[in-house]
Amino acid sequence: MNKNQKAKSLEKAYEKHSWGFIGIAVIMVLIFNVYPIINSLVLSTMSGKGVVMHFNGLGNIRRLFDDTVFQTALKNTFTFFIIQVPIMIFLALIIAAFLNESTLKFRSWFRTAIFLPCVTSLVAYSVLFKSMFSFDGIINTTLLNLHIIQQPIPWLLDPFWAKVTIILAITWRWTGYNMIFYLAALQNIDSSIYEAARIDGASKSKQFMKITIPMLKPVILFTTIMSTIGTLQLFDEVVNLTGGGPSDSTLTLSQYIYNLSFKFTPNFGYAATISYVIVFIVAILAWLQFKVGGERNA
Amino acid sequence: MRKLSEALKYIFLIIISFISIFPFVWMIIGATNTSTDITKGKLLFGNQFVRNFKVLVETVDLPQILFNSAKIAVFTTLISLLIASLAGYGFELYKSKFKEKIYAFMLLTMMVPFAALMIPLFRLFANANMLDSHIAVIIPSVASIFIIFFFRQNTKSFPLELVQAARVDGLNEFQIFFYIYMPTMKSTYAAASIIVFMTAWNNFLWPLIILQSQSKKTITLVISSLSSAYFPDFGVIMVAIIIATLPTILIFFLMQKRFVEGMLGSIK
Amino acid sequence: MKKFLVGILVFMMLFSLVGCNDKNDSESTMDVNENGKITIWAWDPNFNIAIMEEAKARFEKEYPNVEIEIVDYAKADLEQKLHTNLASGTTNGLPDIVLIEDYNAQMYLQSYPGSFADLTGQIDHKDFVDYKTELMTLDGKVYGVPFDSGVAGFYYRTDILEAAGYSASDLADITWDDFIKIAQDVKDKTGTAMLAFDPNDGGLMRIMMQSAGAWYFDEEGNPNLANNPALEDAVRVYKEIAGSNFIKPTSGWGEWVGAFNSGDTASVITGVWITGSVKAEASQSGLWAVAPVPRLNVANSKNASNLGGSSWYVLNSSKEKGTAIEFLKTTYAKDVDFYQNILVDRGAVGSYIPSQSGSAYVAEDPFFNGQKVYADFSKWMSEIPAINYGTYTYEADAAIFGQMGEVYSGGNIKDALKKAEDQLKSQIQ
Repeated sequence: MNKNQKAKSLEKAYEKHSWGFIGIAVIMVLIFNVYPIINSLVLSTMSGKGVVMHFNGLGNIRRLFDDTVFQTALKNTFTFFIIQVPIMIFLALIIAAFLNESTLKFRSWFRTAIFLPCVTSLVAYSVLFKSMFSFDGIINTTLLNLHIIQQPIPWLLDPFWAKVTIILAITWRWTGYNMIFYLAALQNIDSSIYEAARIDGASKSKQFMKITIPMLKPVILFTTIMSTIGTLQLFDEVVNLTGGGPSDSTLTLSQYIYNLSFKFTPNFGYAATISYVIVFIVAILAWLQFKVGGERNA
Repeated sequence: MRKLSEALKYIFLIIISFISIFPFVWMIIGATNTSTDITKGKLLFGNQFVRNFKVLVETVDLPQILFNSAKIAVFTTLISLLIASLAGYGFELYKSKFKEKIYAFMLLTMMVPFAALMIPLFRLFANANMLDSHIAVIIPSVASIFIIFFFRQNTKSFPLELVQAARVDGLNEFQIFFYIYMPTMKSTYAAASIIVFMTAWNNFLWPLIILQSQSKKTITLVISSLSSAYFPDFGVIMVAIIIATLPTILIFFLMQKRFVEGMLGSIK
Repeated sequence: MKKFLVGILVFMMLFSLVGCNDKNDSESTMDVNENGKITIWAWDPNFNIAIMEEAKARFEKEYPNVEIEIVDYAKADLEQKLHTNLASGTTNGLPDIVLIEDYNAQMYLQSYPGSFADLTGQIDHKDFVDYKTELMTLDGKVYGVPFDSGVAGFYYRTDILEAAGYSASDLADITWDDFIKIAQDVKDKTGTAMLAFDPNDGGLMRIMMQSAGAWYFDEEGNPNLANNPALEDAVRVYKEIAGSNFIKPTSGWGEWVGAFNSGDTASVITGVWITGSVKAEASQSGLWAVAPVPRLNVANSKNASNLGGSSWYVLNSSKEKGTAIEFLKTTYAKDVDFYQNILVDRGAVGSYIPSQSGSAYVAEDPFFNGQKVYADFSKWMSEIPAINYGTYTYEADAAIFGQMGEVYSGGNIKDALKKAEDQLKSQIQ
């Protein structure tokens, strides 16, 4: 038996054990993820009222093309995605870069403060934001007192400002979370690289663009994909802050799914179809992000 | 010029920190005020805290509800950490083409919105006669794919030489995992436990669907029902929110240092 | 290993199929079990829950060994749980009695046929106001026990209105156009906003429509948005109110209640269930009065209408169906004294007709400066035009408010309603 073969048979012996490690997880995923997924795929070919359902084939998919509410929800979801994700990621990167400097005072204070929003539950922070952004809530009162605005801003009542409020809320909740990932990654970058760049006369912003961002590419890719999934499934904030209004201007795909199942006369089949639209879009976006972000596995 | 940019940096960080913390300050101030003052945006401490707290305690069985939340969060964290770390380790150490396919497929299932899975999942538990039990709240979330992914990424930095040395020493594969891998990966476990605990503690939709009796409810469910009354008392709600937020803040403070270290491994 | 996985999958499928046939409603009985346990789902601890607690206390005096558990959820949460349970085809997670909002009654009855107990003959529905019984009737069978009425009133602050020169007689039996004129005058003279107004909430619109006996749907249940004079007038009024300076814009419930509690607005037009919230601000005692709601500028619009209200339903799967029905029968469909109590304690106006001659209904209320508000509400309640809400109230609401943005910024009302109708038709195909 030569060395290679021996290694192979050893691997085989270990391989046997491998199912002891992943077995439980795989079985649980099968039961609690795969089985419901298959179930809802079947459901997506049906249509009807509550439990009074009939087979509809591809009818639900055809319906998407005439459904103006669906199209509005799709457009809104993309607006949130295209505006919010880049803002949040860029903000998180800058903060992480600042906090990574060893000369910075009160580092751990800043870090803790900025991470803190992540510990709140969605239910809790929705209640908080709703009361803060009300018409004569604390935000408007403060801005008026500081003479930044002359008229109270209708945060939750105007289609434009409602979108802004949602974006502010998600950014508040998730920037710190992403920042921690970047901060952790930055600690892996050898400080001598920055040292060398400084001696070569590269400015701080140049260092950020030429060293920090390229070095963090895999993490950025990872957080972008996670944020994409999160934004495409955006639900809690919208339901609790604006309820999708005014005039459907903040209605997201996930909320439309919810409405179709639990608010309107339930059509679970059509709701399931829209869920798979989300899966389809996320898969394409993730694939695109991998293409753009380079092949290196995150 | 240098001084100026330094100052700007601090100003920027102070503003961001302030924005991050402000809602918490607002929550604490709100807990001491009347409902009317809160909707008016009063930014001064009031003297209603004791009254608000009393009303809350009278409306709900607070100790029971906190115990329910804690029980669910602690057990979810313990079981999930074990299952997910076993799986993350297993997927990374014993690679095979088939397993990679399973793994990729698992990642794909993360993209399906929960709303689409809720009804079949509910039916599963109803048929197993497990409704209205805390176990039914815990089980579906313990095989969290994100946490499996998290452990696998971290395992990439676990030195394989340790495994080989242990095999030579005659340890079997599970002994290696429990005696060598687990102690080495303390930070990873700490980071994962914060994430899982927060998710479980704050979880809303699934406990809502599964739990039926008043005595089994969690704190998030209580906040939701308080805030939807015909006449919501925001002072009381603010107290409830503080109580709901404190444990997660505490856990984060306690494990903060390990947390950042643990996140380090996930991004290699 | 692949075989093993496939095996598990097959097993799971079988498991779920077996589960589907596992219906255990055979045990349900119409007898009263004096040692039974019934579970009730409702929302709002200050109103429905508290009232149910009162009913429970009364029932337990007669049946001390019946255990009643009342579970409190947020309204949206309760609806979601109910849908999930009913849609899953399993029954062991369902309560015995559930509270359902009147607008949704037909939606549940039609979407989950056979899930709710037929109470025809069990409860004497003649004792309840007509429009409540009608909305829970499907194919000649009556499915619920009517609970609270949403009879609408025009609550106003007498001090502020008087300061602008208006007395009670100026506010009775007016049209919405009169209301707008008065509101503008009040704002100009006193500086106080007349109304807290959420431009994206359909509550007022439903009040306006029902006052004219109209709805989003015609008698046959077909969408009726594009050629509906009452709706068109309601949208016009909405547009004028939204564009005025006499409103205080609010978003969501808490802010809206806060507006009149804090004295920022001079009036509220909504269902009678708001009384508790109005009275919650004790410092305003004696300063309030209630007038009939304004009417629309269309023929046969009355100064009486309704907003919301809900009713109790017994689940067909209930193991203690008999006990559950007995419970509702002896309290909500019989106990006049109970109705006096919940009126005094919670401001709940029931739709049980015999209760309305009780002492509490004719009492003067010091908070409303001695006005016999509940006698007035009872009178208006009998004038509310009965209409068929149909199955799709919230779809219609969403379709209209999807277009209101256009209307507010100057768009043509007819065009907007036409668009909303097209959207609604494609939604409910």
